[in-house]
Amino acid sequence: MWIERKGLAQEIPAVAALETRQLSELLASLGFPVDGVASREGGDVLDVDITANRGDAMSHRGMARELAARLQQPLASMVPPTVVDGPPVVEVRLESPACPVYSTAILQLGSGVTPAEVQSFLLALEATPKRLPAVDASNDLLHRYGHPTHAFDADRIRGTVSVRWAQAGETLVTLDGVERKLVEQDLVIADESGPIALAGVMGGDRTKVTEATTRVLLESAWFEPKPVKATARRHSLHTDASHRFGRGADPCLAMVARDLLVGRLQAWCQATLVGAWTAGAVPATAKSVPLTGALLARIAGEPLPLAEAAEALRRLGCATDLDGGTLQVTPPSWRHDLAIPEDFAEEVLRLRGYEHIPSVLPPLEGPPEPLSPAYLQRQRLARRLSQLGFHQTVTYGFISPEADAAFAAAENGAEGRALANPLGQEYSVMRGSLLPSLQAMAHQNLRQGAREVRLFELAPVYHSGPAGPVERFRLGMVWGGTLGGEDYLSPARAVREADLMGVAKDLGWEGVPPLRALGEGLFGFELPIERLPREGSRVIPAFQPFSRFPSVERDLSLLVDLGQSHEALTSAMRAALPVDVLQDLRCVDVFRHKSLPEGRQAWLMRLRFQAGRTLVGEEVDGWVSAALAAAESLGARLRA
Amino acid sequence: MDQLLPVEIVEAGHAFPQALFACADLDALLRLKGAYVGRDGSHAAQLMELLKAAPKEQKRELGAAINALKQQWEEGLKGRQLELEAAKKRLASQADRWDPTLPPPMPAQGALHPLNRLMDRLVDVFRPLGFHVEEGPEVETEAHNFDGLNIPEDHPAKASSDTFYLAAHPELLLRTHTSPVQVRTLLRVAPELGKRGGIRFLAPGRVYRKDEIDPTHSPMFHQVEGMLVGHGIGMQHLKGTLDYALRALFGPETEIRLRPSYFPFVEPGCEVDVSCPLCGAKGCRVCKGSGWVEILGAGLIHPNVLKYAGIDPAEWSGWAFGMGVERMAMMLSQTPDLRLFFENDQRFLRAMGGLD
Ligand SMILES: [Zn+2]
Repeated sequence: MWIERKGLAQEIPAVAALETRQLSELLASLGFPVDGVASREGGDVLDVDITANRGDAMSHRGMARELAARLQQPLASMVPPTVVDGPPVVEVRLESPACPVYSTAILQLGSGVTPAEVQSFLLALEATPKRLPAVDASNDLLHRYGHPTHAFDADRIRGTVSVRWAQAGETLVTLDGVERKLVEQDLVIADESGPIALAGVMGGDRTKVTEATTRVLLESAWFEPKPVKATARRHSLHTDASHRFGRGADPCLAMVARDLLVGRLQAWCQATLVGAWTAGAVPATAKSVPLTGALLARIAGEPLPLAEAAEALRRLGCATDLDGGTLQVTPPSWRHDLAIPEDFAEEVLRLRGYEHIPSVLPPLEGPPEPLSPAYLQRQRLARRLSQLGFHQTVTYGFISPEADAAFAAAENGAEGRALANPLGQEYSVMRGSLLPSLQAMAHQNLRQGAREVRLFELAPVYHSGPAGPVERFRLGMVWGGTLGGEDYLSPARAVREADLMGVAKDLGWEGVPPLRALGEGLFGFELPIERLPREGSRVIPAFQPFSRFPSVERDLSLLVDLGQSHEALTSAMRAALPVDVLQDLRCVDVFRHKSLPEGRQAWLMRLRFQAGRTLVGEEVDGWVSAALAAAESLGARLRA
Repeated sequence: MDQLLPVEIVEAGHAFPQALFACADLDALLRLKGAYVGRDGSHAAQLMELLKAAPKEQKRELGAAINALKQQWEEGLKGRQLELEAAKKRLASQADRWDPTLPPPMPAQGALHPLNRLMDRLVDVFRPLGFHVEEGPEVETEAHNFDGLNIPEDHPAKASSDTFYLAAHPELLLRTHTSPVQVRTLLRVAPELGKRGGIRFLAPGRVYRKDEIDPTHSPMFHQVEGMLVGHGIGMQHLKGTLDYALRALFGPETEIRLRPSYFPFVEPGCEVDVSCPLCGAKGCRVCKGSGWVEILGAGLIHPNVLKYAGIDPAEWSGWAFGMGVERMAMMLSQTPDLRLFFENDQRFLRAMGGLD
């Protein structure tokens, strides 16, 4: 919100002596940071950030109140002209408790324009003066004192004025020229022919003040915040008035603002008062709240005398009553945010300055909790994969339905994971798999000229369930492009499925991972993390004895069928060998060439034996023969 | 003397030093040796034939000339052989020598994502104070995301223009902050809070808000939430913890500053600034010359939040904070565009992520 320095100094003369920078720091320390300073109409204008709970601060007077309390300096007195309420000129009926008070007046306008200094004030705040005194005076009051008011063209109002809930089907063309279809939850000001204003939000076009207006009917009321906020949101009509009523205006200001408005019109354009009257009454003020010394000391971090707290709260406009160890505090009519003892404790601290709060480490009251195994597992996986050359990605949890459908499990319907209000079709489904995102990222990297792409992501995927999507962390990885070939020792070759197998094995995955081909030379897989091994609960694993005797290695070159399964061959060979001596058995080379018999390939099988003694050549020969015989039973032949 | 010898041999004798020098390797030298001093058909052999056939009176003189010539050739050949052998040895030793300036085969280089790295770092900083990590789902209930956090029913953040909702489950949404983890955790530990002596935890995670993607906005981003519940917890404990943590994060010279602010789930609330870690609080572009940068929002847990979880605010109190991970990462790294964190270009990830 824009605050003009000159306008502020008119409310609290003491700030005139401050530099803009000092003033900004002062406001920030009170909870109103200054986002920027502009120079307009020959002076500095501050862009002050006001939090949503402080409707009372949304004016020059509101800011001045805060500064006056902190600086212990007086506010300028606010002297409205004496306007005496008389009998209603037009009947005003309050039909909803959402508007408890409505103060009004009818004035006959004379000649005259908005004073130059008021126009300059409005221009400084980027509020365009209309050069119609009734409109500009209302606007001036809003920015100066924070109370929204409105002036109707009295000659365009038909009959009784009422504040009531709209009837379904009613419409209102608001000041911005838009026709609004009203609902029963919209609070309106109406005359006998229908709504003439959205209460606390915006006036209507039919009764607006123009150059031709000669008589005005003023509206200075107080509206409940909730319906104003709801109406503003419903009609996407966020106005200066709706912001202030929506956050809570000061009900006690309704009559004062009416009087100020009358005074301005009398002074600016020789208006004559036809009549002034008020419907309803200012609602009862808030109840008192007890603030104990113990609570204040707990929040402040040190004991603070309640008398001192009372003094600070009084400076903020609160009424206080110190009763032994408890301070009874009643907030002023403009502070709707003060309701519980903690709120008042905050006010005491805020006025004192948060820099006075001591700095203390909280004592430990119980044993700390370890990090969860699931969290640690993800940390370990991420570290391991990054050590293996993979790059961790972060991608959005929502993707396009097409990309999702290509990878999500068949039974995982997308309807249960779809967003009602996505940013767009491409971000509309909570993903059932990480692979579409990883595939897109891999292709993007390859398009950007990467020789090789290695990516992984650890993130939840979503599974449609009756009570909503169920989330489970998955590990997804993709690998593609060209390996090696970038130095004199590593030959270049394309990434193969077997490379991904190796990574899955390294992570402790048992068996073949669910590999997917994701495009030319690009492969990926996705694993449920809970099926990967977790760190055991033991500090150190149980001791496993190992032999210190030398191992014996023998190679067998076998001709096997092209369709031979390595798994089947090795298990047959293993079955023929004593379990306790066979240390390892694997194929270490595959040779496929047209020089071999048709339909056959050559596998170099390596057998490694070890025992708790030195092995003798003959016994090893016997085992190798047995292994060969087992292989031969599957159709393998020793290669000549 | 020369007139005693055949013309071609005299010429060969003149050509010898040149021919010897022209021998680039031992093979060429061997061929030259054969041609000059070999057993058969060489110049030396021819001379021996000549000597045999020479008249007696010439033999002595001719013999001496021939010997001198042969000796000259043999010495020349021997010398050149030593030279060539040395050169060969030198080459052989060079061939074996490794040049450490040649690009070596490199172990593959990967990286943790910078956002994850930063979150991990925060966990590391808080671990010594006894904080553990709590997590919660990204698809949340309205109750956990808003109601349990004292957020009023008509709060604008609840609007479908700000928050993503699930089509098939209107009461479910994508959490707009990590604060629902507070609600879940407090609800879970409420019955045993006394036995365990309060609770203190961090909740890092991904959150969603309906913002269009641009250099400073993303519909998904990360937050780290911190919470502590105990007996007699006040603003001094919040300040003490953040003093410690932000110094551990940004360096021992770091100063912190609390400013009053408002969040529905805390009372009192505050914004926390740190002295600008980029300029040492001297004033720079990042801190807009002020020497301070806003780093997180915090406050004492609102009694309504404790009550919602079934915790008596008369006995228990606590503090909470929440910080934006991207915001901090961008500030610390001076990354100009938020979208870079979600493009996952390996060059960016390698440069930003490191290996921890
Ligand atoms: Zn700086």
